[in-house]
Amino acid sequence: MAVDTNKMSGAESLRKTRTYGKFRCHNPTCMGRLEPKPGDDHVRCPVCTSEFRVAWIRKDFPRIRGPVWEVNKKLAEKAFKKKMEGK
Amino acid sequence: MALNRKIAYINLTTGDIEVKPIPLDVRRKFLGGRGLDAYLLLNHSEKGCDPLGPDNPLIVSGGILTATCASATARTHVMAKSPLTGLLGSCNMGGFFAPEMAWAGFHHLVIKGKAEKPSYIYIHNGEIEIRDAKNIWGKTTTDAQWAIRDELNDQEVKSLVCGPAGENLVAFANVMTGIKNAGGRTGMGAVMGSKNLKAIACRGTMDIDIAHPVEALEYNKRFIDQITSAKVNKTQGTLGTPMIWGATNSWGGVRTRNFQYNQCEYADDIEPERIDEICEETMGPYHMSGCFGCQVHCRAQYRIPSGPLKGKYDEGPEYTSQGAFGGEPDCTSAETVLVGNHLVDQYGMDNLEVGSIISWAMELYELGIITSEDTDGLDLRFGNDQALLEMVERICFRKGKVADALANGGIQASRIFGKNSFDYLIQVKGMSNLHSDERATPGLALNIATASRGSDHLRSRPAIDLYHLPEEVLQKIYGNPVPYNGKLSSEHTEYVGKPWQVFWQENCYMGVDCLGICKYHTTFLGATLPNFEDWPKVLYYNTGLEFTPEELWEIAERCNMIERLFNLREGLTRDDLEKGDMLNHRYFDEPTRRGAPDVVGRTIDKEKFVRMIDEFYEHKGLDKKGKPKTKTLKRLGLTNEPSHML
Repeated sequence: MAVDTNKMSGAESLRKTRTYGKFRCHNPTCMGRLEPKPGDDHVRCPVCTSEFRVAWIRKDFPRIRGPVWEVNKKLAEKAFKKKMEGK
Repeated sequence: MALNRKIAYINLTTGDIEVKPIPLDVRRKFLGGRGLDAYLLLNHSEKGCDPLGPDNPLIVSGGILTATCASATARTHVMAKSPLTGLLGSCNMGGFFAPEMAWAGFHHLVIKGKAEKPSYIYIHNGEIEIRDAKNIWGKTTTDAQWAIRDELNDQEVKSLVCGPAGENLVAFANVMTGIKNAGGRTGMGAVMGSKNLKAIACRGTMDIDIAHPVEALEYNKRFIDQITSAKVNKTQGTLGTPMIWGATNSWGGVRTRNFQYNQCEYADDIEPERIDEICEETMGPYHMSGCFGCQVHCRAQYRIPSGPLKGKYDEGPEYTSQGAFGGEPDCTSAETVLVGNHLVDQYGMDNLEVGSIISWAMELYELGIITSEDTDGLDLRFGNDQALLEMVERICFRKGKVADALANGGIQASRIFGKNSFDYLIQVKGMSNLHSDERATPGLALNIATASRGSDHLRSRPAIDLYHLPEEVLQKIYGNPVPYNGKLSSEHTEYVGKPWQVFWQENCYMGVDCLGICKYHTTFLGATLPNFEDWPKVLYYNTGLEFTPEELWEIAERCNMIERLFNLREGLTRDDLEKGDMLNHRYFDEPTRRGAPDVVGRTIDKEKFVRMIDEFYEHKGLDKKGKPKTKTLKRLGLTNEPSHML
């Protein structure tokens, strides 16, 4: 019989890698670990300087609500200009 | 036993009804749900059949685990040839219908023919009757369901219905059950309408015997813990699926203004937290609910907070409605999203297709390809909320030249609009894309290009690719249940390893669709959710059937290949922009302009993309043209299809 109840599946074993209280920067190749203080509504990535608004699912469980538009828009425009100059 | 649920063949032309058992050897090859439906479609349809003709079989099913002690077996699947694409039509929805159908004695229905007058099918504890629908034809999806309950004098009846859009043969009309459980994509509601079939109503009280009930319940506790402990499901249980749109918009992965931008700026009013506030304001703190047997509770309830429809009750909105009535047309009002969501729920239309196709029309309008004369004076510019909502109604009721054309789907409409309108249509195989923008995510681009029912995020999307999981974690996921020795990349802007991830996800999603379980309970949005290694236990305890993870993988491969065989029979060719595994040129030519610094300036590299397709075909056992190799069909036991076992 293929069923072994006691054996932990790969998906179950990955649970130990889970973290609360932190999230990753939304900039793909940055992905810096951001750890807002409890109740913070704003966080800045120390690596790429992107800024995000923070919402809290629970007291210990923050998520990115969205970008700080003015800040990240300028970063995007700068990056776009640089990339287009290089083409 | 759960396995004694039967299949019914119903001919609406003649009124003939035949009931058969589902043989165990068929179960062992296709399980149930979508996989077995695909087998039935290939076997019960003729090449080139008219999607809106009586010979197109409409197939309705629950999964093999539906209504057992397994968790979240709520899914109903519907399949037929699609009036939107001319290829595989398929939709899948939550709610309570499939369990009720199982309790009424059936796992699969094959409906052929066309009723002489509007009709509905009533299934009750093994009995099936075709009834007159004169009192429900013309009603909205919700009113139709309530009218059936009143007519049958039973408030526990669960119905699957088409709305006015299905009756009007809108090519992307939905099948609906409950308030907002939508079988969207590919126009299965139009197939119902074409058969004069308004609804299928079910009521069942027949026991389902569980093979090992104590063990099934014990194991399900562990399964539930695995489901509910996932961060993504905790978030979904608070914010619903809008959290997906919010996160994706944050980094620049959503289409805006059709395909001109990849982020909807200053969208604070349609962000998930704002929508959650409205739900709480209008429905109180306990506004999240769920489908049958599910603990995630991702379904929000709300009332429209203001405007002409103030106070109307609905559920959702799903992330797809944020895209359809928010990001794509660049309308950043929560009220517009909630009203648009309400309209498509009531009319029974696919929110994804509606939002995409109106946004396409808006771009054509701004380019002058269609004019205000064509729109009867409607100012169809981006950001015009009222024009957007007006178009939803016009499409449903086919009012005016533009809306009537759009109601036939984008490809047909492009032939009417002419000029270079097709160049701006974001679709694959005739089905519009989700609101997402895949120019910065090659793996996701490969997914939508090769998905069996058109541009589709629910067939093979490697969504966890966006989490930048370490390579050893990716290997642990994607190296099971069959080994994978190639490279995998944590970087979602890369091309390396993505074909395998898409192939793996394609089999994973087919697996849950055969079981009848929701995708939020597998490796879709969370890396720690159950998949092939976990499913044999659930299957054994509930049905008594023994499978290894490798066997389940092979079944999923087989079922996906059956879908491929159907599409090839109906004209799929690799590079065809209308019926192939190819993307619109804009993916390759127009760089992204918004979002995170590492996202802007991205296009899909066409050479690398073509190589990804080659590699994906290799994994699937297809040749360079996308056709199955002889040895692949032999390995999967498909050399004699259609084999007419059922």
